[in-house]
Order: sequence, then structure tokens, then C-alpha cells
Amino acid sequence: MSKSVKNGLWSVLFAAIGAFMLIPIYYLVVNTFKTMEEATFRPLGLPLNPTFENYTTALQSMNFLRALTNNLTILVFAVLFLVLFSSMAAYAIVKGKTICSKVMYSIFLIGLIIPFQVTIIPLYRIAVGFGMMNTLPGVIIINVFCINLSLSIFLFRGFINTIPAEMEEAAAIDGCGVFKTFWVIIFPLLSPIIATVGILDALAVWNDFMTPLLFLQSPEKNVLLQEVHKNVGPFSTNWTVFLPMLVLSVLPMVIIFLILQKHIIEGVVAGAVKG
Amino acid sequence: MLLMALPAFIGFMTFFITPAVMSFGYSVTNWSVYRPEPSYVGLKNFQTLFSDAQALAAIEHSIRYALIMTVVQNTLAIFLAVLLNKKLMMANVLKTIFFLPAVLSILVVGYLFKFIMTSAPSGMLNSAIGAFGGAPVNWLGDPNLALYSVLATQVWQWTGWAMVIYIANLKSIDASLYEAARIDGAGPMQVFGRVTLPLLYPATSFNVLMSLIGGLKMFDAVYAMTRGGPGYASETIMTTMISTGFKAGRNAYACAFAVVFFVVVFTMSKAVTFVLNKWEAAIT
Repeated sequence: MSKSVKNGLWSVLFAAIGAFMLIPIYYLVVNTFKTMEEATFRPLGLPLNPTFENYTTALQSMNFLRALTNNLTILVFAVLFLVLFSSMAAYAIVKGKTICSKVMYSIFLIGLIIPFQVTIIPLYRIAVGFGMMNTLPGVIIINVFCINLSLSIFLFRGFINTIPAEMEEAAAIDGCGVFKTFWVIIFPLLSPIIATVGILDALAVWNDFMTPLLFLQSPEKNVLLQEVHKNVGPFSTNWTVFLPMLVLSVLPMVIIFLILQKHIIEGVVAGAVKG
Repeated sequence: MLLMALPAFIGFMTFFITPAVMSFGYSVTNWSVYRPEPSYVGLKNFQTLFSDAQALAAIEHSIRYALIMTVVQNTLAIFLAVLLNKKLMMANVLKTIFFLPAVLSILVVGYLFKFIMTSAPSGMLNSAIGAFGGAPVNWLGDPNLALYSVLATQVWQWTGWAMVIYIANLKSIDASLYEAARIDGAGPMQVFGRVTLPLLYPATSFNVLMSLIGGLKMFDAVYAMTRGGPGYASETIMTTMISTGFKAGRNAYACAFAVVFFVVVFTMSKAVTFVLNKWEAAIT
């Protein structure tokens, strides 16, 4: 068989696998534009009379803007703190070179071995004690320190290890202190790893359901996934109204993914290679 | 210098290490919503746990789920990665398509497949089977099937994630090695077994550990699709721990569950690391 025919066959096979993978997503999106009757009898057909009514209903019943604001608040602050705290900690660990920094690093690494769910019952008690229940800062703190900190520090440390020491020696000669050296010389060099850590953390924070489920109980603090859970969970018969909720709750991340896909996939790979 | 590590360190000690230690401590008490002042009861919670059929089933499900997930997901991911590594026009588009499900929330994927797999006449999967003349299947209501139905959705969601890591690893393999193997007369299967697979060690060890731990932590998809049912046929360690701790208020018992969970995760990842190291020693 000639090479081009062979490649052609592979392409056909691959298009078929790709299309097969996309069926669930196609099913989800296409049925949001149908009435329930139409969706029941023609689940995979294109909508005959596309309707946006399902979306209007969904936007209202899931309090879309309020929930989205909560999501974005948690996301932005959690990722910001994660990048700041873990880059600083990793720098101190790499440059500290004392017993103390080594011990500190091994303590941080415990977070990679113990899944955070092990802590969850006492964590609840601690959260109550600190007045963190039903507050967005509470969820931000848990997302930062309990779920994502260890991996972020680990990734930053691996990267900072590769930065040549001459960079800082020059800064030291110029009379820069530790903090200034970090912010002026080191931090700008970290942009590739900041992208990796930021992407991995943003995905983890956005898709985290357990923390808001347990720590945000008042409706006005709910995030998108909780709204989905509240509305879709009971699973009533009028299911075409629920499909738009599923779409709306993942749409922001999907849009970001489609725009930044190259960086996101690179970030995932970089996280694995360093790991 | 260490001052810079302080914000992370204080937060980590307060919100991770402290509650983790407390989990171990509380697991030997009778703390519950009804007994806010706990007292020491020894290993009683663990005795209860290991004589409770539902708890044992949950542990067994989590382990079975994680092992099958690890094998299926990585086999598929390696297969797809090797194919996609060929220089095809569509390779990049397909990479995006395969990765896309990983961006969606697990909970949303769970609900989506609950619609697709529903036993009602509108269920897409059963309609499709019906169109080919098959009998409808009770995907989520059959106790022998529910756990595997949930597992299938997670394979769909995460295989692309593992695949992109395998592809990156494949790209780093020196093409001259393939050339050399071909000159020595190796067939495609031999090239894969003797050249490709051993050189995929770094990606494999990472992905295997990730899918194993991810499988053991399984919560969202079960929560969305079956709530552990029918009966407790699809309960996992996590769903049982959350419901005993937060719904039933049996805090200390849930802490004992957390300890068992830690032991399971720890021993299984150690066992898998041991096997991986053996493999690494064998190929180098």
C-alpha cells in the first residue's frame, strides 16, 4: 500500500474515533435548543425549530450571574495567592539551603502523598472555628492551602532550581535584598512556570465541587456547580431545561480552553514532566 | 530568607497538617454531632468499620474502580498517543477533541451521562442500542453494572489528559532508534514492545500513579450519577465517608474512614511504585 493511501485510511479511522468521542457533547449542545418532545423522539437530530427558551429558563433558575461572580471571585483570588505564596516558598526552599528549609520542603511534600479529603472532617471544625463557613474567603483558603499548594510549590521549586545563581549574585553586588532580588530579578523569569501552575490550579479550582458543597451552604454564596447540583440533582421529567445548565456551567472554561488550548495542553505536559 | 516561605507554611500547617493529624486523633474517639465532647474508645470505630458490609463494599469498589481505571485509561491513552504521533493532518484537531472532556467538571460529565444512560425511553444510549436491534440495558440501575457505567464516563473524560502526556513523551524519543530497530528487522509490534514502550517509562509512571490516586478519590461522578446506588452497589470510600461524616454526623467514624482511605492510597501507590521501579530496572 502506498504511504498516502495508508495515511488516508488512518485519517478516516481517526475522524471516526474523534466524532465518536464528541457524540456526548454534541448530544448535550444540540438538545438544549429543542423542546422536550423533540429531544425525546429525535435525540440526535438537529433542532427543527431552534428555541432559546431553555437557556432563558436555565439562566434564571440557576442565578447565573450571581453564581458566575462567586466562581470568578474564588478562581481569581485562589490562583493569585497560589502563584504568590508558592513561588515565594519555593524560592526560599531552593536558596535557603539550611536544615530548616529542607524540613519545610518535606512537610510541604506530605500534601502530595496525603489526599486532602483525609483532612475534611476536622477541617470542617477548624473552618467553623475561624468563621470561614459560608464565606468565599473560606473556600479560597481551602483551595489554596489544602488542595493545590503542595503541587504548586513542587513545580516552582523544580523550575527555580534551573535558574543560574549568577543572576542573583549580580543583584547582590548591586545591593539588592532578598525580597527585592526575588521580585525584581527572579519573579519575571518565572513566567513559563507561572503559566503552568496558573493553568493547572485554575482548572482544579474551577472544577472543584466538594469544597463549595460542604463549605458554602447559603444560596447567595453558591457557585455554578452547586446551582447545577440543586436544579439537576432532583432529576425531574422536564430534562431539556437542565441541559443548558450543564452547558452554562462549563462554558466559561471551554471558551478559555479553546482560546488557550496550546498553552493549556503544554501546561499539563510541563506539570507531568517536572513531576 | 525563610520569611518568604512563611505565608505558605503557616497556612499549610493550619489548614492541612493540623486537620490531617486531628483525623488520626479523632478516629479513636466517639466524637459525633450528638457527642461534641469526644472521649477515647480505642479501635472501636475500626472494628465497626471492618464488620460493616457497606463500608467493606465501598473500600472494595474504590480499589477495583481505581485498578480498572488505571489499566483501561492508560492502555487506551498509549494506543491513541502512538497513532496520533503519526504525522496526520488532523492530529492537532484530534488532540484538542480528545482533551476537551478533561476541561469539563466531573459533576457535569456525571449528569450528562446520567441523561444519556437513563433507562427511560428517551435515553440516547438505549435508543442507539435499540436501533441496532439490541435490548435496553439498565446502565445505572443494575447493581452489577452501575459502577462500570460510572467508570466508563471517567475513561471518556480523562483518557485525553493522559494521552497528551504520552504524546509529549513520544516526541522526545530519538527517531534514529526506530531507524536502527527497523534496520535490525524488527516488525511494528516488536518496535513498539522493545523501543517505544520502555522509553515511555517516564509518562507511564506519572500517568499510572495519577489515575490510580484519582480513581481511589472518586466522588463527584458517583455523586451525580448513582448516589452510591442501587443499594450500595456503587458506593466508594469517598461517598461513604462524606455521607457518614456530614449527613449522619458520625464524625469520629468518618475520621476512621479517612485513616483507612489514607492507608489504602499509601499502600497502593507504594505497591505500584514498586512494580514501576522493577520495570525501570528491567529496561535500563
